Amino acid sequence: MRFTIAWRLGLVLVMVGLLGTGLTGYFAYQASREQLLKSSEERLLTATQVLMRQVTVALNDVKADVQLIAQHPQAPRILQRSTAGYQALSEENVAKIFEGLMAVHPEYFQMRLIEADNHGMERIRIDRDMGGLLRISGDDLQEKGHYPYVFETLRLPPGSIYVSRATINHETGAHAGEGRPALQVAAPIHDARRHAIGLIVINVDLQGLFAQLAADLPPELKLYLANGRGDYLIHPDPSRSFAFDRGQVARVQDEFPAMAAALNGSQEERTHLVTSNRASDAEPLVAAFGTRTIPDMEGNDAFILGLSQPRESVLSESKQLASITLGIVLSFSAMTVLLAYFLARAFNRPFYRIVAEIRRFSAEGKIGNLPTNRRDEIGELAHSIQLMERQIQHQIEDLQMQQEMLDHQASHDSLTDLPNRRMFLDRLQHALARAKRQDEQLLLLFIDLDDFKIINDTHGHAAGDAVLQAVAQRLRALLRESDTAARLGGDEFIILFEGTWDDAQIEQMVHKVQTAMADPIPYQDIELHSGGSIGYSRFPQDGSTSSTLIAAADQAMYHCKSNGR
Amino acid sequence: MISASTFLAACRRSMLPVAALLALAATPPLWAAQPVLRVLAWPGYAEPEVVQRFELEHQVKVELTVVTSDATLWEKVSAHNRDFDVFAVNTAELQRYIAANLVQPVHAGKIPNTHNQLARFRDLSAIPGLMHNGKAYALPYTYTQMGLIYDRKQFRTPPHSISALWDERYRGKVIAYDGGTHNFSLAAQSLRLASPFRIAPQDVPRAAARLIELRRNALGFYTQPAESTQLFMRHGAALMFANYGMQQVQMLKQAGADIGYVIPQEGALAWLDCWSITRDAHDPALAHAWIDHLLDPQASRLLVERQGLSNTMVDDSNGQPNGKPLWLEPPEDTVRRERLWERIRSGDRLTRVLAP
Repeated sequence: MRFTIAWRLGLVLVMVGLLGTGLTGYFAYQASREQLLKSSEERLLTATQVLMRQVTVALNDVKADVQLIAQHPQAPRILQRSTAGYQALSEENVAKIFEGLMAVHPEYFQMRLIEADNHGMERIRIDRDMGGLLRISGDDLQEKGHYPYVFETLRLPPGSIYVSRATINHETGAHAGEGRPALQVAAPIHDARRHAIGLIVINVDLQGLFAQLAADLPPELKLYLANGRGDYLIHPDPSRSFAFDRGQVARVQDEFPAMAAALNGSQEERTHLVTSNRASDAEPLVAAFGTRTIPDMEGNDAFILGLSQPRESVLSESKQLASITLGIVLSFSAMTVLLAYFLARAFNRPFYRIVAEIRRFSAEGKIGNLPTNRRDEIGELAHSIQLMERQIQHQIEDLQMQQEMLDHQASHDSLTDLPNRRMFLDRLQHALARAKRQDEQLLLLFIDLDDFKIINDTHGHAAGDAVLQAVAQRLRALLRESDTAARLGGDEFIILFEGTWDDAQIEQMVHKVQTAMADPIPYQDIELHSGGSIGYSRFPQDGSTSSTLIAAADQAMYHCKSNGR
Repeated sequence: MISASTFLAACRRSMLPVAALLALAATPPLWAAQPVLRVLAWPGYAEPEVVQRFELEHQVKVELTVVTSDATLWEKVSAHNRDFDVFAVNTAELQRYIAANLVQPVHAGKIPNTHNQLARFRDLSAIPGLMHNGKAYALPYTYTQMGLIYDRKQFRTPPHSISALWDERYRGKVIAYDGGTHNFSLAAQSLRLASPFRIAPQDVPRAAARLIELRRNALGFYTQPAESTQLFMRHGAALMFANYGMQQVQMLKQAGADIGYVIPQEGALAWLDCWSITRDAHDPALAHAWIDHLLDPQASRLLVERQGLSNTMVDDSNGQPNGKPLWLEPPEDTVRRERLWERIRSGDRLTRVLAP
């Protein structure tokens, strides 16, 4: 394929097309990817916020439960001295409430009523154990006065709530809750004189509570919970949860450096977006964290709640987008290439046709088909070329005609239109050559008009011309196709006959020519009388060259003329 | 439709990964396996800057686990020996580690900084419990006496006996330590038993009952120095058993408490903590380097300045309260002491505490 303009144009078109689709695809992908990442970050943030609200709600539910019982009239009655039977009945009733609440709250490990006296002796205690509920009584009840959830709660005014820090429960005999992360939510019980005489405490299963809240989250989202200092309480990697309980440090700000600033700032309620974890961590994560201060919590501690998602899964949507964009770019590019190919071809074809036509014209000189019916630049070009071709054709035809005329004039006598001496000599040469080759004979008749000079002088040159023309006419009428009559000049004519002639035939021919010439020639309103003297020569008898043959015929004519007179 | 700014932003963004790759290529990869030294230490023993300097000097990562009770330390070193390389333990506790073949000899020759130690700490054979079969199993690091911290406003005269912890006048104002071994020693002292470290089987119920009384008299129990300070300040405590000794005194004074520190007449339990190397330590040479590093001037100075503890380089007996130090000795049965204490702390009554 030649690197024609059309192909060059096609190539430029392809490049422009590829660049256009490529750039459009790339930037469309970038912009959409940005949008995707942002929206998935926002989703994460929203999920975190929803979860935070749920945690607050769940915690408020626990507080409400604790407060409900603490402020129930039954509670102080159990703690105040009364008849044993009545006390047992009250205890039974409260235990039933505990059991009822624990049945609907699987996240409650333990519910207790603890008295302020007797070193914080447990009075009513329901433990969860192996899926069932256990009422603890007698010697199994323990003194808890030295635990913060007791001594801190007893200090509180009526209607307040104590929420412990999240810790691992190391109290022995706590059944399902033993060794597990828990949160104690407690409310003091006051007597009529507003003395704290006991408390209600619920041990909340921290993991159970959050597992419940996070149950509806998509599986790729992982939950984080940390205390106000950033120590992990819940982490997808269990070895990082409650590391402080094992003397180690695993903090949210170490894994997600952006959280350090949030932890150092004032602990008001807010939500932070953390885009990534430390580069050294195996799996890159996108995470959203929220911090919420729990007002009733020991030391006004806060919760940091977070959700993370593998960056990979956030980007998977954008990968899909990339493949779609790539597909579109590729198919548009292919279309561009195809379009460019057809365009180049459509552009090339009429040009090739025109070029082929011009070549053919210069070879054959005939006007062929040109795309002249097109109404565009190519049509105009074809039209101009056709016009030019026509012009050239006309000129060539004129030239040929002139040539033919010139040729004729050069070889014929202008007056009689008989071949002239030159042409006759030419023909004689040819005939001689042929006759010699084929061993044939030739006959030359030499005619000289009699009295021509007299006619000329008497009637004028025009009459002489008329005589010459008439003679030529008559000679022509006598001859065969193969014979040649010519005017040698003045009033001399000569005739070449090919073929074999005997004397009789020659005599007959001479006689025929003489008769034809003797006939009067009408001129204007008179008749002119001329006649001719005829001599002849034969090949090979009288000469073998044209000059000898003509000379012999001339001599014979002259001889005849002088004898005949 | 893409605006110019988006275009530029996109260009800049597309350059970022390239720059990041270049940066990565220039720095040693973070994920390259770095040797790790696993250290078990008590609060304040290995200050962050000390650890950091060691990590830099030796191109290793230090994985520090802070322990707050002998029971936890024992649990970790005995059950997970191969997970730790070097740990701080007191001379009395060290006995059972040696007996259980949990530690390996420490070579003072490989630790140049021992030359700066006071003569009495360099003579290892003179310190009871360090040597076994002629080999040293630990090197002294820090020590203190476990005296009583009292609030000057609530005590006209300083308490003179350990029994002050049981004084009903201070009910709910006493803070004690959450540790079985030491608490049984305290109970033995208050019961005037022959030795706080060897409670005869027939005396165990008395001691347990004594600790239940302590529990009933106490506001609460702590494990960490910082926690004890917080409890003391928040609840206006009168008396506290200082398991961390001068370390807590320093902390409380920094927190603005008006306190005194006294060694009871019965004598204060005193511990000398030493660095020891676990039997299965990955890299004993690195563990020796760690010990050497902790005995250098920076670490030793920080022990005194920041923690109020004594180091083995400077004789500071002038700054310490007068009184008889009772250097810890291996108790008659650590496991039983811890088991009983766990029940006592959980609030059980004597019958259940003593139940098999």
